[in-house]
Amino acid sequence: MSTPIISLSHVRFGPAKKPILDNLSLEVPAGHFMGIIGPNGAGKSTLLTIIAGLTKPDAGHIDLFGRCLNSKTRIALQKSIGYLHQKHANQPDMPMRVYDVVAMGLTSFNQPLWNGLFADKQAEKDAIQHALTLVEMDNHIQTDFRNLSGGQQQRVRLARALVRQPKLLLLDEPSAALDSPRQEKLYKLLRKLCDENNMTVLMVEHDVAAITSYVDSVACLNKQMHHHAKKGETIPDEVWREMYGEHVNIVAHDASCIGCMPSPQKQSSQEQHHHEHHHD
Amino acid sequence: MIDFLNQFFNSPVMQDALPPALLIALITASMSIMVVAHRLSFLTVGVSHASLAGLGLAVALSLPLLPTAAATAIAIALLLAVLPNRQGINEDAGTGMLFAGSMALGVVLISSTSRNEVDLFGLLFGNILTVSPDDMQWIMGGSALVVFSIILWAKSWWSMAFDMITAKASGIATSKLRLILHGMIGLTVVMCVKLAGIVLTTGLLVLPAACAWFWGRSMFSLWALSLSFSLVGTLGGLMWSYQYDWPSGAAIILMLCVLFTASWAASWLQQQYQKSR
Repeated sequence: MSTPIISLSHVRFGPAKKPILDNLSLEVPAGHFMGIIGPNGAGKSTLLTIIAGLTKPDAGHIDLFGRCLNSKTRIALQKSIGYLHQKHANQPDMPMRVYDVVAMGLTSFNQPLWNGLFADKQAEKDAIQHALTLVEMDNHIQTDFRNLSGGQQQRVRLARALVRQPKLLLLDEPSAALDSPRQEKLYKLLRKLCDENNMTVLMVEHDVAAITSYVDSVACLNKQMHHHAKKGETIPDEVWREMYGEHVNIVAHDASCIGCMPSPQKQSSQEQHHHEHHHD
Repeated sequence: MIDFLNQFFNSPVMQDALPPALLIALITASMSIMVVAHRLSFLTVGVSHASLAGLGLAVALSLPLLPTAAATAIAIALLLAVLPNRQGINEDAGTGMLFAGSMALGVVLISSTSRNEVDLFGLLFGNILTVSPDDMQWIMGGSALVVFSIILWAKSWWSMAFDMITAKASGIATSKLRLILHGMIGLTVVMCVKLAGIVLTTGLLVLPAACAWFWGRSMFSLWALSLSFSLVGTLGGLMWSYQYDWPSGAAIILMLCVLFTASWAASWLQQQYQKSR
């Protein structure tokens, strides 16, 4: 078996009595597309920041691309990672063209100014053009980033994460600012990148029904891994209850998707769709 | 006009004042785009006022003025970079506290020395005409360091200003570079104190980039515009100072304010024109 892209072993983060993540172990192979679901405060974003090398876990071991992630290897490993975070904390007043925002994602960007004199400008331009084409923003290449809508800005940020052609892409609610057709296009694009470029994608999302036809597996997280459902596998009702509490009301559906296979007693004559409808 | 320019450029006073003033204009223009992008204007206010503690220390202990002030300003700027992260103190509050505390220390130290030793008006409002050859050497050394740091890290600083989290995730050593940025701002502030004084230094570190902000579309265009505004502001301000016998620092800041108003008005008019089309 080839070396997994991500290997987490007994990772803990947060106070021992009330950890944010507890005893988390996970292996993700190359080219795998994983969705991560869980309630608010489940530690989903924290997990991504730990894998991205932004947060140091309090216990456990992390290997990325077969190398241990620590303070010495962090910067080298991060060059192969694309990360799109949930807080859109960019400085809204900075004058930047879309081209320049995406250029900041190139690994060659953060170099001394004299390196710019010898850089292959055409190769950089092609990479930026390609990344923007993937997210269908190539016709805005010279537009001022400040003049774009929230959804357009999100697509440019995604292009910034993709431009370095990362081996691992970490996305924290990437569809938050996107309309439904755009969300679907995004998931299709990610599926294609996994299949054709062997990119590994970890994506935090809330709507499991929307992602199940595209992902290879769904990790159910709430402080610890409650379930890791492979394609075609059902997420048992008790897992939903463990994650979201006893008050959750599970609505049965049909869907030929992960975690959404209806249990026989819930199947009705109508087409049903099963996902995390939880009502207080 | 030609006569005035001839007189201005040939005046021995201006021949001494122009090289340090233009050198300071170059580095403040370059750092000002980082100050504005990182929203560190208040840090420059804090550090410039805090440098009074360094100047007070230098006067009280008979140490060289600029190096002592530079060391103090850099130390305080670094402290301001570290404090909010470590102790959960808001950067704004940290700057306010250190600014007041070190200014108070400076006032106490200076007031306890003989008044004749200290040109308080010069410290507060600057006087480029009093730059000694020793000061000039310090300004040249400091400027070289600031320019070198910009060449090395301008792009990383720019990425960090735009989105700190993504910058860190991209493999930029953000904590280290933030410290260096604060240190370089501290150093720049001290060099500006000679030109604009403690009170007016912030203007030199904010106004050039603020003028350019309406027109720049990338880091390089902002830098070029900021440099142009800074050089024009400095030259124009020194001309006013020469013509009307105004304090040089205040005249330069006033000229930069005029340029800012003109830049803002032109940008507003352009927007109105575009809307009407």
